[in-house]
Amino acid sequence: MKKLIALLLLCSVPMSSYAFDLGIISKALDVGKKTAEANRDIPESEEVQIGAGVTSNILGTTKLVDNPEMQRYVNHVGMWLASQTERSGLKWHFGVIDTDTVNAFSMPGGYVLITRGLFSRLHSEAELAGVLGHEISHVVQKHHLKAIQKAMGREALGQLAQIAADQNGSQGSQNLAKVFKGGTELYAHGLDKDDEFEADRLGVVVAARGGYNPYGLVAVLQTLGAINPSDAALKLLFDTHPTPADRLDRLGAAMGDKLDDLGNKIDDVPRFEKLKR
Amino acid sequence: MKRWKQVLPLFAAGLMAPLCLAAETGSVVRAAELKQKPFFDAPKVTDLAANAPVEIVTRQGAWIEVKTKDGQTGWVKMLNVRTGNGEVKSGSTASGLLAGVSLFKTGSSGTTATTGVRGLSEEDLKNAQPNPAELEKLNGFGVSPDDAAKFAKAGKLVPQKDLAYLPKPSSSDNKSDDKSR
Repeated sequence: MKKLIALLLLCSVPMSSYAFDLGIISKALDVGKKTAEANRDIPESEEVQIGAGVTSNILGTTKLVDNPEMQRYVNHVGMWLASQTERSGLKWHFGVIDTDTVNAFSMPGGYVLITRGLFSRLHSEAELAGVLGHEISHVVQKHHLKAIQKAMGREALGQLAQIAADQNGSQGSQNLAKVFKGGTELYAHGLDKDDEFEADRLGVVVAARGGYNPYGLVAVLQTLGAINPSDAALKLLFDTHPTPADRLDRLGAAMGDKLDDLGNKIDDVPRFEKLKR
Repeated sequence: MKRWKQVLPLFAAGLMAPLCLAAETGSVVRAAELKQKPFFDAPKVTDLAANAPVEIVTRQGAWIEVKTKDGQTGWVKMLNVRTGNGEVKSGSTASGLLAGVSLFKTGSSGTTATTGVRGLSEEDLKNAQPNPAELEKLNGFGVSPDDAAKFAKAGKLVPQKDLAYLPKPSSSDNKSDDKSR
């Protein structure tokens, strides 16, 4: 039976997808001269387009939890926090996806997804704010967009988005699909560790700006640290992030007691517990 | 009726018992005073040595309530505690975690017998196909900044407007980290 399943899997996956990586995209499109006009900034409209495409792909692996109340709730907390940042003007979208896997993702342009597995392990609205603050910070700092740019070359990426925007032809949309695919693969590899440490440092401040106890993220990292690292639910998270202990050490060094006066801010709101039931 | 009221909490506690198995355990990363209350000037319960194992009871503000091996309960700063395998320095208190973790697995399902967890692996992401319908659904759940502000007000959240981001600490601040690696 196992053999049969393995065989079916092999057949159902196009071989080309194995050979795919970000480097190949730029070659295939013959826009490999990464140095030319390399510093062109990606306009926000293109960033949103890329983020939406990658989000669509992630939703292709895992659908949203069928609970509109929960989805609205997460959008309210998230939008409130995003309003406290330098990118409050983005159209932010937050969602809970239906998997036991413990993780959260942010995509360029203001898309944030958190898994049901992580949501169910949170103890309070302040902890949710800590997680969302971390993800929002990735978007504020454009960590993923920069990583995609670095891998593909800014010019290539800009041209691709432009092609798709200008032409409705199949070539444009195919090229764009490649960008989205390459962008999605980034989430299998993860960002630089420094980007994660920075998102932790900024995330606690974003949560605190929203009026939450800034120690929510610290609590979440402790919860993650308490789970057996060999638990399959954490594999992707632990493969793509520094260990919780490492993150706590760095975050602790940055926080010291600087935010302790804000520790008496909101830890929880009854609406959180109501939703978790 | 009165008796029911007395019994019900016990019944509920019984239902909660399996969850208690998954309680977080950890250790203190540096010697610290165990306080009676979550304040610096609160009376001391006892002195905790570095690497002392603790069980986590609850959290409040910047503080965490813990129970020591001797059964004493009190508060330390949250950042003084590392959970699970995080405290590789002592290598002594990782026990007890494994039992709790298995609760989260659903290994009885025949289709996912190897891991017990469905979805979202590295392979899934590499082979992902777009789902525009689901993206549209996600877009539909978005709220306006005004709605979010009302939601915040309902939760008594008071924004701390110009709070500055924390600078990256200098490497000397990470000494405890370096030792652990």
